Amino acid sequence: MSIAGAAIIWIALLGPVITLITRMSPGDIWSALTGAGDLDPLITSIESGLVTLGVLLLLCTPLAWMLARDRLPFPRIWEAGILCSLLLPPLVIGLLLVFMVGPYTWVGTVLDWVHQSATNTFLALVIAEVYESAPYYVLGARAAFASVDTGLEQQAGLLGDRPGRVFRRVTLPMAAPGLAMALAVSWARAIGAFGAVVIIAYHPFGIPMQIFTTLQETGLYSALPYALVLLVVALPLPMAAYVWSARAERRRRG
Amino acid sequence: MYGARVLSVDVEVDRREFTVRAALEVADGERVALFGPSGAGKTTVLEAIAGLVTLRGHVSLSGRVLTSTSEHVDVPPWRRQVGLLRQDPGLFPHLSVRANLLYARSAREDELAELAAQLDIAGLLSAMPARLSGGQRHRVALGRLLLAHCDALLLDEPFASLDAALRRSLTALVKDISSERMVASVLVTHQLADAQAFADRLAVIDEGLILQIGAPDEVVLRPASRRVAELVGYLGFVPAGGAPGSAAGVVAGVHPDRVIAGADPDRGLVVTGTVTAARPSGASWEADVLAGDAAFTCRLPSRPVAQLAVTVLDPPYFAADGVLQTPGQHIRSA
Repeated sequence: MSIAGAAIIWIALLGPVITLITRMSPGDIWSALTGAGDLDPLITSIESGLVTLGVLLLLCTPLAWMLARDRLPFPRIWEAGILCSLLLPPLVIGLLLVFMVGPYTWVGTVLDWVHQSATNTFLALVIAEVYESAPYYVLGARAAFASVDTGLEQQAGLLGDRPGRVFRRVTLPMAAPGLAMALAVSWARAIGAFGAVVIIAYHPFGIPMQIFTTLQETGLYSALPYALVLLVVALPLPMAAYVWSARAERRRRG
Repeated sequence: MYGARVLSVDVEVDRREFTVRAALEVADGERVALFGPSGAGKTTVLEAIAGLVTLRGHVSLSGRVLTSTSEHVDVPPWRRQVGLLRQDPGLFPHLSVRANLLYARSAREDELAELAAQLDIAGLLSAMPARLSGGQRHRVALGRLLLAHCDALLLDEPFASLDAALRRSLTALVKDISSERMVASVLVTHQLADAQAFADRLAVIDEGLILQIGAPDEVVLRPASRRVAELVGYLGFVPAGGAPGSAAGVVAGVHPDRVIAGADPDRGLVVTGTVTAARPSGASWEADVLAGDAAFTCRLPSRPVAQLAVTVLDPPYFAADGVLQTPGQHIRSA
């Protein structure tokens, strides 16, 4: 009975994916994506997603490590800040970003000096994606670092490794499966970001915006191929991260 | 008595409950055991040597000053060449046994093979740590420290979680290897038998202070104070007796393993008393005895009778202030 119940919930959760696949034929997808410029939203999404991941890796990994190792004063306040950005509805984030980095703010003025803008540009798209995905990465990465036994880091130090080398040889490899999962979740959030994007980065179109405008202009059925494309682009990285994490875990178990 | 002191420690470390004050010197190849109850500050001493805690004082190893507050020297842990083996052997789970062994430095294949054979882990080099038993993990961790060519081995109750037989064999192995390689070793333990089996010298530590250092036999048979006696297993103190000349308040320490049934005044202090409880203990019997106002516990080869006389073999005597009386200061009485 409990297995049947679990199966019903599982199928219900997978329902949208099953519906999407059963509604589409290869011909529909082909015709939707072979027109001039039809692949542009996909390319924009992949590019902005990759830049977002780079920003997260570079800026949020040290923050996650410091949170995991209690290297920050008043850690609860730092955590609350991250939770706050996680709990803000993406649409609200978009609205507030306009007042934070829009053209009439000091950030906007500075960007204008270098002929950049944080609204309706690729930069704006990246900013929106970073804000929507960063909390997921920070929290996931913090959990990954926290799972590494500090006793092992201490042992590596006593065996002659400087802290940077300990991080590279022990902390990072041991946290890697968790970091990969955090990065994969962030990728899915970034590439599917819409709430903040629709406010601050209506252009250039990524796939979510393409789905939205197609839905508005030509109807529900025309938007489905783009939904499938979004799924196909968003899923492989999380799936690969999951498989790699599982293999890493198996390897450790010998 | 000892040659060049390879490890010299004279430190003070503040802890919440008390300040640990320890002065210790360990010679090349010498093995010292720090013995004391849980929370006595034993591990803090090791961490001070390893550079893992903030301290005042001086630590030097093989002629190198590792910490000196007066000289403002504090060598970081990764440059101390000190090996620390804890209860958790701390093998890196993402690396094979071979990679763990070679973590600190590469070694020639014959050196690795020789060490692996000595530690009985030759067949495990390609295995992952998760596949090893508790004893094998400790052997690998020990091998890793030895290949790192540490100048001192710090052992923080490393085998406490293992069964007694395995603990004995690993302790013997570490003892042999530290002697053979002339590495100064400090073992921390709250098991007296482990300390005795391992060490050339035994240091008894309590509430952050080293109360006595000496040969294990000397410490156990002639504890410097009542507190040391309690820590090394004396389970009762009886009046030295009412013989003329006996100082008031002098008591004899009763170690349960140093009691024989019957009165034999030539071999020690004879005590008569009432057995208040008796229970089997291994191949012998453990009895709680009340002698006047004093109570003690002893182990006897057969079930004790209700009223008995026992001889406490050559007991240590303590003055009223708890300090050990030198021979001749006490009075033996029947």
